[in-house]
Amino acid sequence: MKLALCALIFLLPLSAQQPSTRKGDWPYYTADLKGTKYSPLDQINASNFNNLEVAWRFKTDNLGPRPEYKLEGTPLVVKGILYTTGGTRRSVVALDAKTGEQLWVYQLREGNRAAIAPRQLSGRGVSYWTDGRNDDRIVFVTTGYRLVELNARTGQPIPGFGKDGIVDLKVGMITGASKQIDLETGEAGLHSTPLVVKDVVIVGSSFKEGMTVATHNNTKGNVRAFDARTGKLLWTFNTIPRPGEFGNDTWQNGSWATNGNTGVWTQMTVDEDLGLVYLPVESPTSDYYGGERPGDNLFGESLVCVDLKTGKRKWHFQIVHHPIWDYDLSSAPILADINVDGRMIKAVAVPSKEAYLYVFDRVTGKPVWPIEERPVPQSDVPGEKTSPTQPFPTKPPAYGRNYIKVPDDLIDYTPELRAQAKDNISRYKNGPMFLPPVVGDPKGFLGAMQLGNASGGTNWPGAGYDPETHIVYTQANQAAVSPISLRTPPEGFSDIHYVLGRNDTQFRVSEGPGFGSAADAPQPVRRPAPAAAAPQANAGGLTVQGLSLVKPPYGVISAVDLDKGDLKWQVPYGETPDAVRNHPALKGLNIGNTGQPGSVGLVVTKTLVILGDSQITSVGHPRGAMLRAYDKATGKEVGAILMPAPQSGSPMTYSVDGKQYLVVAVSGGPYSGEYIAYKLPEEL
Amino acid sequence: MRPALLLLSVALLISAAEQSVRDGVYTTAQAQRGADLYAANCASCHGIALTGGESAPPLTGGEFLSNWNGLTVGDLFERIRTTMPADRPGKLTRDQDAAILARILQAGDYPAGPSELSPKTEYLKEIRIEAAKQ
Repeated sequence: MKLALCALIFLLPLSAQQPSTRKGDWPYYTADLKGTKYSPLDQINASNFNNLEVAWRFKTDNLGPRPEYKLEGTPLVVKGILYTTGGTRRSVVALDAKTGEQLWVYQLREGNRAAIAPRQLSGRGVSYWTDGRNDDRIVFVTTGYRLVELNARTGQPIPGFGKDGIVDLKVGMITGASKQIDLETGEAGLHSTPLVVKDVVIVGSSFKEGMTVATHNNTKGNVRAFDARTGKLLWTFNTIPRPGEFGNDTWQNGSWATNGNTGVWTQMTVDEDLGLVYLPVESPTSDYYGGERPGDNLFGESLVCVDLKTGKRKWHFQIVHHPIWDYDLSSAPILADINVDGRMIKAVAVPSKEAYLYVFDRVTGKPVWPIEERPVPQSDVPGEKTSPTQPFPTKPPAYGRNYIKVPDDLIDYTPELRAQAKDNISRYKNGPMFLPPVVGDPKGFLGAMQLGNASGGTNWPGAGYDPETHIVYTQANQAAVSPISLRTPPEGFSDIHYVLGRNDTQFRVSEGPGFGSAADAPQPVRRPAPAAAAPQANAGGLTVQGLSLVKPPYGVISAVDLDKGDLKWQVPYGETPDAVRNHPALKGLNIGNTGQPGSVGLVVTKTLVILGDSQITSVGHPRGAMLRAYDKATGKEVGAILMPAPQSGSPMTYSVDGKQYLVVAVSGGPYSGEYIAYKLPEEL
Repeated sequence: MRPALLLLSVALLISAAEQSVRDGVYTTAQAQRGADLYAANCASCHGIALTGGESAPPLTGGEFLSNWNGLTVGDLFERIRTTMPADRPGKLTRDQDAAILARILQAGDYPAGPSELSPKTEYLKEIRIEAAKQ
């Protein structure tokens, strides 16, 4: 009998021995390879969410020489063990998923290489590979851009992978036409987790913030696949096509050779059966000025589908031509098998900073609903040549505000507030989506008003999807008011003609998230401190008596029906911030729930959408940030529990020994990074 | 003995809650020194206007206040002192940190007053951060 069972297990396909959400695991950053963030677990539901109790906490302070206040990881759980990253050294830990007890910790001391890395702090987590038998590995990318594989049981590097368990990802990264970057100081890094599929590990690349770049000839992005067993490079996809490759002619005047970035910094997804990988590509250098790179600049801000085996392009769709708005493709593409007018479609849906869901047939790349090229405003910045048209989806409708319609979208609680908002915004150039940046001028427009580029709509946390009902759930920031002004860089700073800023104000370099806060960050060389900025007159202020210039809701949660291409429901995200609720100008007014700005991730379960507030509140409950459960069918809030700090990483869920757990990373303000696990109380 | 101790603790609690950022707890000159230090040490991540950005949270406005409302100036001072500037925490002196804090209060439209913000954490813990008048 036992022998027969043994033989049966041996005969099972390898996929049956892989961990999955059906078995209660959470084996990928996005729950599965399709980017759904969906788990069918339902022990925690609307009837008992408010009874959740802390099962365990894991403070990450000691995973580096100083605490981290921006913990963004989402753990994995496989067979009762939780794996994740944390701390300013981006250490990897394995914890008992029931108790939080630490089983092992791994850290790589990278010195200056990590200290000057473009993507610092603890990152988004780890990935998992198994041969389905006895060889289980944890895969992650260090702050210093090294790909590491660890024995999942011991935390020790895998000797046969790369060199002593490490592949140096900086090898093969180039600037210009072919110049290898310096392995110590060259700019490349990554926050996202590797995409592990079958026996392949696929990694992207990212760089410093692109607002005030020192050169347009930055490191070039790419996507690479490695053998999961050995670390051998299998293929490279050049996100900036080389001569002879498709799309090279979209970099006019040979500008492919003198521009960089265009990496993939967010999560990728893959259709294992079709053997197709979906790459969400970011902006080329620089974020807001493209005068050094005339043309459409493929594959900047494109969704690219490549063959899993070869890395060859199957199809692509450029979501923004000649990108100059920082509309990086921010979110994991969601693979969805949908039914449109009786037609089964294997689709891919891409959430975005633009608050559009771009939906394609994932085999052919054809839009499921027409995406129209429409004329857009043109740039008057010297040297800039904007694309005459940009793509606009006809369906589904935008699930968040993506430009400011003046005056309709301006705050209107009182005539005085509306008047001040109109006055404030009149100092800026206003217009529809794709309004190009301007050279800001105190005598004219201070900048071009934008909403939803750098931090609007859906950012890196992405969205979720229910594969049974074909509904996408997204959170979107509707209040990311950000006027863009360009200026000439100060003498000797850069070879690019324009950077973010204003010629009449002091120039400041815009640094990346957590820049300079990695573990070994002695940063002696800084540009000399310039003289203090002249105090600026109150002109051009964007808030109205401390309130947002735009009307609430400041953030929304939406359910998008992918069979119909419609919004099923939309509700404010979170609760009214204290500073709004207690504002003297709003006293006596019924302001309803304004929701909150911010960008957070969510988890979708059998019946709930679960996500946390991005702000601390203290009205009606003790000071803290709420973790909320919304009814999937209606968007109605059905439960909320108090957390000590806002959600800073996307939540996940798993089950061990019949008990469902919910884990979320919290941090911010005075509260350093902590993973908190919740479960229902034991039955009496 | 016990009741007296209890009374004493209650009195301490009340006195700890007495002062707030609305009571003029820094001077204009201190905030000006802080503005210079801010431009040199903080602005590249938190923005010249303290409005933050993709890279770092704002140090003024609703999101900032939501993190600190109900806590004390001492809590914020310790956060700055132990973790900022991010590239070299502890690089600035207590006096410099206090000046930057004065600049942050000034940017939040809290009034200046006759005496400077103390560089001593224990004293700063007596000053409550209030988002708005109730």
